[in-house]
Amino acid sequence: MNNKTVTMAHGAGGKQTSELIDEVFKAHFSNPDLTADDAAVLPAPKGKIAMSTDGFIVSPAFFPGGNIGKLSICGTVNDLACMGAKPLYLSCAFVIEEGFPMEKLEEIAGAMEKTAKEAGVRIVSGDTKVAGKGQVDGVFITTTGVGEILDGVSTSGDYAKPGDAIIVTGDIGRHGCTILLAREDFGIDADVTSDCAPLWPTVESVLNATKDVHVIRDATRGGVGTVLYEIAGQSKVGIRLNAADVPVAPEVKGVCGMLGLEPLYLACEGRLVIMAPKSEAEKIVEVLRQCPYSKDAAIIGEVTEEQPGHVVMTTEIGTQALLPQPGGELLPRIC
Amino acid sequence: MSEEKKKTAREIIEGYDGPPVRIMEVCGTHTHEIFRLGIRKLLPKQVELISGPGCPVCVTQVGFIDEAVYLALECGVTICTFGDLVRVPGTEMSLAGAREKGAKVRIVYSPVDAEQYAKDHPEEQVVFLAVGFETTTPASCLAVRKASEDGLTNFALLVANKTMPGAYAALKGSADVFLYPGHVNAITGTELCESLVDEGVSGVVAGFTAKELLTALAVALVKFQEGKPFFVNAYPRVVTREGSREAQKLVADMMENCDTEWRGLGIIPNSGLCLKKEWEAYDARKKFHVPEMKGRSNPACRCGDVLQGKCKPSDCKVFGKGCTPQHPIGACMVSNEGACSAYYQYS
Amino acid sequence: MCVGLSAKVVKINDGVAIIDAGGAKREISSQLIEDLEPGDYVMVHAGVAIAKITDEDDSETDQVLEDLF
Repeated sequence: MNNKTVTMAHGAGGKQTSELIDEVFKAHFSNPDLTADDAAVLPAPKGKIAMSTDGFIVSPAFFPGGNIGKLSICGTVNDLACMGAKPLYLSCAFVIEEGFPMEKLEEIAGAMEKTAKEAGVRIVSGDTKVAGKGQVDGVFITTTGVGEILDGVSTSGDYAKPGDAIIVTGDIGRHGCTILLAREDFGIDADVTSDCAPLWPTVESVLNATKDVHVIRDATRGGVGTVLYEIAGQSKVGIRLNAADVPVAPEVKGVCGMLGLEPLYLACEGRLVIMAPKSEAEKIVEVLRQCPYSKDAAIIGEVTEEQPGHVVMTTEIGTQALLPQPGGELLPRIC
Repeated sequence: MSEEKKKTAREIIEGYDGPPVRIMEVCGTHTHEIFRLGIRKLLPKQVELISGPGCPVCVTQVGFIDEAVYLALECGVTICTFGDLVRVPGTEMSLAGAREKGAKVRIVYSPVDAEQYAKDHPEEQVVFLAVGFETTTPASCLAVRKASEDGLTNFALLVANKTMPGAYAALKGSADVFLYPGHVNAITGTELCESLVDEGVSGVVAGFTAKELLTALAVALVKFQEGKPFFVNAYPRVVTREGSREAQKLVADMMENCDTEWRGLGIIPNSGLCLKKEWEAYDARKKFHVPEMKGRSNPACRCGDVLQGKCKPSDCKVFGKGCTPQHPIGACMVSNEGACSAYYQYS
Repeated sequence: MCVGLSAKVVKINDGVAIIDAGGAKREISSQLIEDLEPGDYVMVHAGVAIAKITDEDDSETDQVLEDLF
C-alpha cells in the first residue's frame, strides 16, 4: 500500500477502503468463514451459545506484553471462556484516527491474527471507520464473540457458595501496572509486562478435570478486588481473603508502594478468579499450574456466610479487616 | 526471635487493663494503616483511638481548591498535583470537575517532576499545588530551587504547606497520648515533642509497618499507666533527635511562617509557610494575581469536629448518606487517609 | 500523611539517586542527605530521600520494647 498513514479516504467506502480491508485485515484474518457480504453465515452449534462484546481504548496502544489488538481478542475470548464457552466466532469493529500509521495498524492486525489462532477463534465479520484527527485516540476496537458452552458446565457470578475455595490463576495487577508505567507519568522504571493472554485453553483444561466449578470471572478493569466485590454482591455471600496468599510480583508491589496503590485494584487482562468446592480446589490448582498462563495459580481465600456482600482480609498480623470497596479513578496517594 | 517480639507488643495491647485512655493518631497514614491492618480489633474497650488532623488534604481549606480551579480555568495554567487533591470539593467544583471543563490537571509523584514538566513544556505555565507538612515541604523547596537554577519563568507554587507545632498546641487536651507522625519527625527531629512533656503532653513517635505501629501503641499504653507525661521515639529506624538538618535549613532559607487556615481548626497563627520575598517570582498567588478566595464548605459537613476528635465520623448527619467516597462532601471523605473515608471503607 | 517507602540506593550522582524497591526503580533527589552511597537504604517521600535508614531489618523496633522494661 502506498499510503503510510490512514486517511479519511480509507473510511469513505470506496476503492481505498477496499484496499485497506484487503491488504491489512483480510491478509491477517483470512479464514473460510470471513465474509465479504453484509453478514457472516454460520452453522448453529449444538448446545447453548454465549455471546459477549467489549470495547478497547487503551492508551498507549502498544505496551510491554501486548497491544490493543491482542487485548481486543483476549478480552472477548476470556469473557466467553468464563461462561465455560469455547470461543467460535468474533466480529471486530475498528475506529481509526486519521493519520494513524499504517505500519502500526498492520502490527495490531498481526497480533489479533496470532491471538485468535491461539484461542481457536475465527474472525468472521468486521467494520472499519476513520474518524477525524483528535476525534479518537489512535485506534479503538470493539470485538463481539460467540462461543459454545461445554456440556454440563454452568458458571455464574450468582453461584458462589459458602465453603467454596477462591483461586486466582496468577500474580495480580500486572496489566494495570504495565499501562501505568507505559504512560511514563511517574518516572518509574520496572520490568513488568502485561499479563494479557487468551485463556480458553486454560479454562478448557480445568473443565476437563472437573465440571464442578461455580464461578469463573476474568479480573479486568478494577482488578481482582472489584471482581470479588461483584461476586459477593451477586451471590450474597461473604468473601474471606488471606492477604499473604495473594500473589503479587515484587516489582508490582514496589510500584504500588511508591504510589500508595492497592494491587488488588489494578487491572489484569489474563487472570481468572475461580470459585469451586474445596474438594476440587487442589485439583484445579494443579491443572492450572500445568497451563502456560497460570503457573502461579494459588488458593487465596474462601467463600463464607458471614458479612454477605463484603470482602474481608485476614491481615499480616492475623486480624480481620474489610477490604475497602472499589472506588472511582485510581489516584496515587502521596502526601 | 522477631516474631516473638511482635507477639509481645500485641500481648501488651490486648492485655491492657489500665485506666481508659484516648490516643490520637495525628497522621493520616497512621489512620489508614491502623484500619488496613485491623489493629483497632485488638484494642480493649478502654483504649480509644482518635483520628487527628494529620492528613494534609483533609485540613486544606476550601479556598485553596478554589484558587487552584481559578488558576486552571481562568488563567489557563497547567496544574500539577499529588493525586490526593484531585477529588477534594471546592466551593463550586473540584479539580476533577475543572478537568471535565477542559482544565489541564496533571498528577505527579513529586514536585520535582512538576518542575521537570515545566522545563519540558516552556509554552505552558505550570503551577504545583504545594500541600503537606514538614515531610513534604522540602520537596517543594527543592523544585523551586531547581527552577531557579534552570532559569524557568513558567513554574510556580500555590503554597498551602503547614507545620505541626501550632496544631499540637491547638489539640492540647483532646487526647491523653499522641502518636506522632514519624515522617514529620524524620525531618524535624524530636526536640519539640520532648519539650511538650514539660507542658504535660505525652506522645510516642510511630512508624508505619504493623510491627512499628503495634510497638508504638504498646509503648504508649505501658508509659501511660506509669501516670507521668512521657515521650518515646518508637521509630528509631528512621527518626533521630536532630532530624534532617539539611531539610530544616533548606526550608528556613526559602520559606517563612505565616498564619494559615486549617479546615476544622480555623486560623492557627504562624502554622503555615509561604515563600520568602526573594522567591516570590515562584509564588503563584502573586504571579497570577489570584483574588482572595473565601471558600465555602457544606454546612452539614462536620469534618472540623472529626479532625479535632470532637466527634466520630458516624456522628455526622451526612456520613455514609450524602457523603461517601464516591460523592464526598468533606475532605475527610476524599482522602484515603481521611478519618471519614477510613471509617466508611473499613467498617 | 506522608506515604514513605524504604528503598535501596543503587546509583548516585550529583544529588540524584536511583532507588530500587522490589525492582521498581526511580530517580529521586538525594540532596537532603550527605554521604549517601550505593547500597544504603533510604526512606523516600514524594521523590525525595528524607532519611537514611540502617537496613530493612527491624531489630531497632525490637529494641524499643526491650528498653521499656
